[in-house]
Amino acid sequence: MSKESPPDPAANFREMVTKWERGFDSLANQVMGTEGYSRSMNQMQDLQLGMQSMFKEFMTQNLTNANMPTRDDLVRLAESVGDLDRRMARIETLLEAMVPSNAAVGSGPRKGPPRTKKPPSAKAKSSTSKGGKK
Amino acid sequence: MTDATASQDGLRQRAQGMIERAIQRNIKGLEFITAPKPPVGLTPKDVIYERGTLRLYHYHAQSDEVYRVPVLLVMATTNKAFVFDLAPGQSMVEFLLQKGFDVFVIDWEAPTPEERGLTLEDYTQDFIPNCVLKVQQESGELDVSVIGYCMGGALSLIYAATHTDAPLKNLVCLTTPVDWHKMGLNNVWQDQRYFDVDRLVDTLGIIPADFVAQGFEMQRPAQKLAGQVRVWEQMWNDEYVKSYRVFDRWGNETLPLAGEYMRQTTKELIWGNKLFTSELVVGGKPVKLASITVPLLTVVAEHDHLVPYECSKPLLEMVGSTDKEEILLKGGHVSLIAGPNAVRRMWPRLDAWLAERSI
Repeated sequence: MSKESPPDPAANFREMVTKWERGFDSLANQVMGTEGYSRSMNQMQDLQLGMQSMFKEFMTQNLTNANMPTRDDLVRLAESVGDLDRRMARIETLLEAMVPSNAAVGSGPRKGPPRTKKPPSAKAKSSTSKGGKK
Repeated sequence: MTDATASQDGLRQRAQGMIERAIQRNIKGLEFITAPKPPVGLTPKDVIYERGTLRLYHYHAQSDEVYRVPVLLVMATTNKAFVFDLAPGQSMVEFLLQKGFDVFVIDWEAPTPEERGLTLEDYTQDFIPNCVLKVQQESGELDVSVIGYCMGGALSLIYAATHTDAPLKNLVCLTTPVDWHKMGLNNVWQDQRYFDVDRLVDTLGIIPADFVAQGFEMQRPAQKLAGQVRVWEQMWNDEYVKSYRVFDRWGNETLPLAGEYMRQTTKELIWGNKLFTSELVVGGKPVKLASITVPLLTVVAEHDHLVPYECSKPLLEMVGSTDKEEILLKGGHVSLIAGPNAVRRMWPRLDAWLAERSI
């Protein structure tokens, strides 16, 4: 009986996809890895950023005219809240460092299973030494 | 049975299999399109600390006893930490828990517009030290092992180098960039002559997730389409589809970046290569990798296109540790830490190295 299995079209298809992917990526990397590509890509990006900037200024002006808060106003407000949050965190950290309850750090497990696990090598050593005593 | 009959039987079986798969493909393809996002990060955990973009998780133990030293994983700032905990059986966190480690993870949420001013100082002089303190308090242990992935590794290195008195027991860096001038295509695209990072940050404030994701995808432009074709072909294979969907979700949930952090990373690390040249100063403290003396493990992937091996290679030479090791494994940037490749190759090596140093 012949041991050769018939060709698997699915396997051939997978191989073809992999080859295409590698070839395409390699070609694309060659093109995109050039100085010219980098320059064009960044020029396009600058153009988009310029348009976005203009639109932002236009919207800000309109909101100001309508006596409405702009996005920057809201961000500034959120920043103030964030500052307060950070100050609170710093105070909390300082307090935790000063208050005696912090002495619990390094004083063993607070919850969960015991922290007594040993690596396999230590267990092997201990079983060897026990065996040696017999 | 003659050769001809056997061959005909084989062909018949193959054809039957192909027809069955085609039917399955159609039935499951519809499910695939209409299914909601796959659940991820299912290992039970508590959020023990959160502030702005920062989340610190403590995972529930899954063994009767744990190693004395807790482990803190630091995720890269560009992606969600659920890559450490994709699904049961595909979770590095679950693996570590079952091996007896007490596991904590630093995860990041998308920074809000008011967090656009976050810098390396915030991440390495505030967030990580505070999380280490929380881990100490939660575990009741003085020592902590830190595992950083990609940019999380770079942040961990900066933290370790600027906190030489830190309670750091071990440091593990997974595909961590050190020599940024070896970043390949990124160096070309962010060429100082053409890439105006100041304009980008001043205009946008927060760098959108799409911009960040595009930077990753453009390095392997055919990857996404080829992945979609492969999943269509494998649609009958539930395990393959499940794995594809969780990875796809992770890839699609790239995080935006704080503008100032982007500016500083570009100028100091990418253009100045100051982590490599030891000229980096963060929070007024010099960042010299030679000042890191704790046991260090660096794990790198042979086919990593985002952080090529040459980019991580100098780390072993540069640190001052005497107990240090580099493990070069087959695989890519993501398959190093998640997926079947990681289950077989990286996780057991990490467990073996860390277990010996966690007592």
